[in-house]
Amino acid sequence: MIHRKTVVLFVLAAASLLMGVVSAAAQQRTVVTWFVGLGTGTNAEQIEIQNQVVEEFNASQNEIELVINIAASNETARDTLSTLIAAGTAPDIVGPVGVAGSNSFADEWLDLSPLVESAGFDLSVFPPALVDLYRQADGSLTGIPFAVYPALTYYNADLFDEAGLNYPPSEFGAPYVMPDGTEVPWNYDTVAEIAKILTVDANGNDATSPDFDPAATEQFGMNFQWARIRLIWTNLQPSSYYDAETNTVSVPDEWRQATQWYHDRLWKDRVAPNATFASSELLQPSGFASGNLAMAIVPLWYTCCLDNSVGKFNWNLAPVPASFDGEQHVAMDADTFRLTKGSKNPEAAFKVLTYLLTTAAPKLATAYGAFPALPAAQDAWVESISTRYPLDINWSVAQDSLAYSNPGPVHHESNVPNYAQAYDREFAFLSLLEGDAGANIDINAEIDTFEADLQAIVSGGS
Amino acid sequence: MSSVDANAAFPAPAKRSAHRGNLMRQQRFWGWVFLSPWIIGFILFTAVPIVVSFIFTFTNFSLNSSATLRFVGLDNWLKLFRDPVTLQALSVTLRFAVIAVPFNILVPLGMAALLNSKYLWGKRLWRPLYYLPYMVPAVSSIFIWQSFLNGQTGWLNRILRLIGVQSPPNWLQDEGWILVAFVLIGVWGVGNAMLTMLATMQGVPTELYEAAEVDGAGAWMKFSRITLPMISPVIFYNLVLTVIGLMQYFVVPYVITRGTGNPNNSAYFYNMHLYKTAFTFFDMGYGATLAWFVFLIAIVLTIILFVTSRSWVYYASGDTI
Repeated sequence: MIHRKTVVLFVLAAASLLMGVVSAAAQQRTVVTWFVGLGTGTNAEQIEIQNQVVEEFNASQNEIELVINIAASNETARDTLSTLIAAGTAPDIVGPVGVAGSNSFADEWLDLSPLVESAGFDLSVFPPALVDLYRQADGSLTGIPFAVYPALTYYNADLFDEAGLNYPPSEFGAPYVMPDGTEVPWNYDTVAEIAKILTVDANGNDATSPDFDPAATEQFGMNFQWARIRLIWTNLQPSSYYDAETNTVSVPDEWRQATQWYHDRLWKDRVAPNATFASSELLQPSGFASGNLAMAIVPLWYTCCLDNSVGKFNWNLAPVPASFDGEQHVAMDADTFRLTKGSKNPEAAFKVLTYLLTTAAPKLATAYGAFPALPAAQDAWVESISTRYPLDINWSVAQDSLAYSNPGPVHHESNVPNYAQAYDREFAFLSLLEGDAGANIDINAEIDTFEADLQAIVSGGS
Repeated sequence: MSSVDANAAFPAPAKRSAHRGNLMRQQRFWGWVFLSPWIIGFILFTAVPIVVSFIFTFTNFSLNSSATLRFVGLDNWLKLFRDPVTLQALSVTLRFAVIAVPFNILVPLGMAALLNSKYLWGKRLWRPLYYLPYMVPAVSSIFIWQSFLNGQTGWLNRILRLIGVQSPPNWLQDEGWILVAFVLIGVWGVGNAMLTMLATMQGVPTELYEAAEVDGAGAWMKFSRITLPMISPVIFYNLVLTVIGLMQYFVVPYVITRGTGNPNNSAYFYNMHLYKTAFTFFDMGYGATLAWFVFLIAIVLTIILFVTSRSWVYYASGDTI
């Protein structure tokens, strides 16, 4: 007769053996961890889709076990990732993350060039300009394009109709036709001119009228919606204020000119809303979306926030104006997935990365509201966004913009030492320009102060 | 002479004493067992982090850098006294204190006095109405005030223009007015202080007022010589909380200025500087130093308040702190 204890012991032993076998089998797969949260990816719908992608990847092969680690929120993601890195348990893959978000961990990203070469990954499926966005000054490649958001000119067609103005051009290189039929280049001088006609006060006077009352403005001509100062500068003329070789900060002349240009729009012509107007009820929920602003120069992600325009006003897209040098340059926000230097399995992680960037890209891009960098996936995105905004929008401008992307070293979010503090200082400078105190500042003196402060920051002080 | 052994006649006390000792030990043991979860939690999640954060003040600890953690002595403490940004943040906080502390005591006191008035009709309606803003979540109320105080379309300036003020202040964009704007926003937070003062006022014995009336005391005399002394403990309590709250003042300026402290750093409070140092720039060593410094300031101020309270706080029971 078998004793009960013997049966229990046998069952326990069998269970342990089984678990050992299972774990041994699982351990034969290389584990790759994917951290989400630095950029988007933390809302419920996105989590579900990301989990699906993980399941599909794991089911598609037997070598790699992909494990996803999603931060509780975007706000806590930096802390979480910092802690993981500090503890020596850095994830293999981090993303989606933008350029600025990546700069917080600039020292952590792996150079992908050797992996691209050894895996034979074909980078030519992406527009070269987008690949160059991730090429650093030392030649390393720290990312491969996933999602891009080119800067565009959003214009309120109804306000242009009211003002009797022609719409901005629908393709790169085309001129703008003034009301008298004259063709002029589509550049920032033209924008400044027509913005005056499109800025109107409560009495119906536009900004070209001697009776225009800026304190009673009810409609503005233009703005750089939600832009940081470096994006504004880069839109007007791509350049850089930081020299990595000498670790020096020097604001280039073209950026001083750009600051003066923007200051004139804010305080001389009064065609761009200052901080008081920008936060007023007139321009809620945001400048362009309020319907009281004629042109916004802002990246494609702004399509996130125009739902209330449907049925309220007609809008469309145009190329960004040509920069000060007369050439077409497009500032590009961009998200990708990065590999960390702390990855214990970079080759396996790279395989996962290529899966996310190609096979899973359409699904993930839709979940993130992102415009795919992969041309083959772009038409599906256009189809889905057209359903959301049934306004006959010229989406091809977004696709055409990719060819004019600024390269990595002059990207408006390119890294500088102590990036978070530099970013903070840039925001303070823009707040000064747009705040009431900005009306009467000495632009060059303030830029000199800004330069000195930034130099202290990049040199390690604060 | 009795041959009976006195101890033998009373054997119980030794046994009872031993039994009582065992019982007390057992009770003590179980007391500690039931207290232990809190004690362990306190040690692990409060005491140890406090001690560790103090150690951080002597290191270069940063979550943002791959540099090796090393001891830097008093560098962080010396930096604190030389850092113009820190000194600016301290100065902003102190300037705000000069207007906010009297406001946060006098306004609820005045409101409590009005609500306590025997001539006020509909007290049951006014009391919750005055308390209601305190219940609005902080960030929501800040957004409401931000709209209300907007220089262009805000309702306050529209009202001021209606009554003839040609150029009302641009409350949130003017260096000279932004701290005043923050004090105004604080009006919605006085509900709790008002309620505690009102409750204490209502507890003042009416005989005191009757006796004062017999002696010919007017309203102001009764208020200043009876009401104020009798509610002075609650005033003191609110004063201590206000001063400590000031050291923690963060949400309003952070939301309104989007973390910049602008215009021109006029709203760059000390706690905002601490938050950005530790959690935006990840400089944990210096951030811990800032935290300990503000803790020391709060301790010193609290001690000063307690010491000076002996001269103006009246405890009816006769107890003093």
